[in-house]
Amino acid sequence: MPEIQILSDSGDNSNTNALFGKYELGKLLGCGAFAKVYHARDLRTGQSVAIKILNKKKLLLANPSLANNIKREISIMRRLSHPNIVKLHEVMATRTKIFFAMEFVKGGELFNRISKHGRLGEDLSRRYFQQLISAVGYCHARGVYHRDLKPENLLIDESGSTLKVSDFGLSALTDQIRPEDGLLHTLCGTPAYVAPEILSKKGYDGAKVDVWSCGVVLFVLAAGYLPFNDPNVMSMYKKIYKGEYRCPRWMSQDLKRFVSRLLDINPETRITVDEIVKDPWFVKGGFKPIKFHDLKGEGGEVEAVKSLNAFDLISFSSGLDLSGLFAGCGESERFLSEKSPDELAEEVEEFAKEEKLRVETMKKGEYGVEMEGQNGKFIIFLI
Amino acid sequence: MLAFVKRFSLKRTKHPRGYEDPQVLASETPFTVNEIEALHNLFKKLSTSIINDGLIHKEEFLLALFRNSSMQNLFADRVFYMFDRKRNGVIEFGEFVRSLSIFHPHTPEHEKSSFMFKLYDLDGTGFIQRHELKKMVGALLSETDLGLSEECIEAIVEQTMVEVDTNKDGKIDEEEWKELVAKNPSILKNMTLPYLKEVTLAFPSFVLDSEVDD
Repeated sequence: MPEIQILSDSGDNSNTNALFGKYELGKLLGCGAFAKVYHARDLRTGQSVAIKILNKKKLLLANPSLANNIKREISIMRRLSHPNIVKLHEVMATRTKIFFAMEFVKGGELFNRISKHGRLGEDLSRRYFQQLISAVGYCHARGVYHRDLKPENLLIDESGSTLKVSDFGLSALTDQIRPEDGLLHTLCGTPAYVAPEILSKKGYDGAKVDVWSCGVVLFVLAAGYLPFNDPNVMSMYKKIYKGEYRCPRWMSQDLKRFVSRLLDINPETRITVDEIVKDPWFVKGGFKPIKFHDLKGEGGEVEAVKSLNAFDLISFSSGLDLSGLFAGCGESERFLSEKSPDELAEEVEEFAKEEKLRVETMKKGEYGVEMEGQNGKFIIFLI
Repeated sequence: MLAFVKRFSLKRTKHPRGYEDPQVLASETPFTVNEIEALHNLFKKLSTSIINDGLIHKEEFLLALFRNSSMQNLFADRVFYMFDRKRNGVIEFGEFVRSLSIFHPHTPEHEKSSFMFKLYDLDGTGFIQRHELKKMVGALLSETDLGLSEECIEAIVEQTMVEVDTNKDGKIDEEEWKELVAKNPSILKNMTLPYLKEVTLAFPSFVLDSEVDD
């Protein structure tokens, strides 16, 4: 095993190669300036995971604000649940290292595919781009910005049909290429995806910056090469700053127009996510409207209760619901009401309409209503 | 880095009463060492909210559950009593972790069931008696605005006793309780806290000052 000391804290586990007695580490999937990513297997479930290992010392030297940010960022990442966002399962740590156990995406980086097989057709480019925007829009709706969208962060599953964005919400751990920290030139990564307003070191809007990076990604997918590229980094900056790029001949007029809206050097006039999802190129070929919300609620929790006996009733006591101890990490409130389920459901929907929340009503008879607002999720179950 | 080491070695010398080594607790519970470090962050928050002594007092427990330290709630009192294994009126860190471990999604159902039975056995007689059940139904109803009549409560209790007290001795023993749980597992829903599977994500600051050796 490379470099990592293997830990095992449970005596009953004979597999001494397991990280924390829990994950069996496999091959190295990738490595960056501060992190190595390994394939691993969860010994309990057999599930494949990706384990990202960070060196605390190196990380703190490069990014002293880490200590302040890491807690917040992990909490943010935890709340993101979307089919196109790599899920963070667990964090672990030793004195010198931090480990992230994440969803394993088998197909690897999308851009490996492009460097191997060349550019994608516009239809396939659109399919990936729609998924990217779905993930980005979902996060923006929750006030979370990636700020470092780049090829390494776009993964595809085995079938090649699903795109997943990694490292959303973890910018303190990944934004090593921000110019402010002076590290820009020492990194293996490329600044080719950085928006012009970041280069000018003005304050910037995370949403606008992400849209720019998505524009670069789309360009690469459809053209097969970077819109802004130069062996000389300063020349590359200049091109980004001026928005100088050339679309290939084969690109459709519609896509050229769309790309020009994404790669608008003026963040004020640059297209927004809300406008993107209405753009003719984007919606071409019959695209079902993107919902920036969970496609399915946690579901399955609506129990069909036949007749309540005394213990069922007692179990509704708020004194027995210990989730309050974990306040701040998802709170739910339960209440009993004398109103009929239909009446209640109506009231909830009305309230939601006023407050501009999204409501999903379950099938009749199940009496469940799910509600979602800007800052996360509110679920109401009616029994 | 040095700062962390310093901070921790200081802390190490004055761990509060009842503090236990995460390694030891990890070996006895479904939690990993990191999860216990994460739980310690939660414990620190809870145990210093009113009295800064590293022990969870009843008021602090109520404050966390209800945002109100003087809340009257029979069930919260019972949970506190069950957590306070030494019965000395406070919850120490070890008690906190061991009790919470019963709420872990991976903990076998029979442990959850047995915990809940003891919690409902208000007088500690080894049985849930009719009057205890009635007291609990009354307590639940007083939490809500449902102004149910005495007869109504009596009817609910009666119906439940008929259903559960299969040997008809007027009280529910642990065997009868187990049968009820087998028929109706949702009764144990409060005994599983999905949060416990993600404590490392909910309280991630341990990643900076973990004491786990490489």
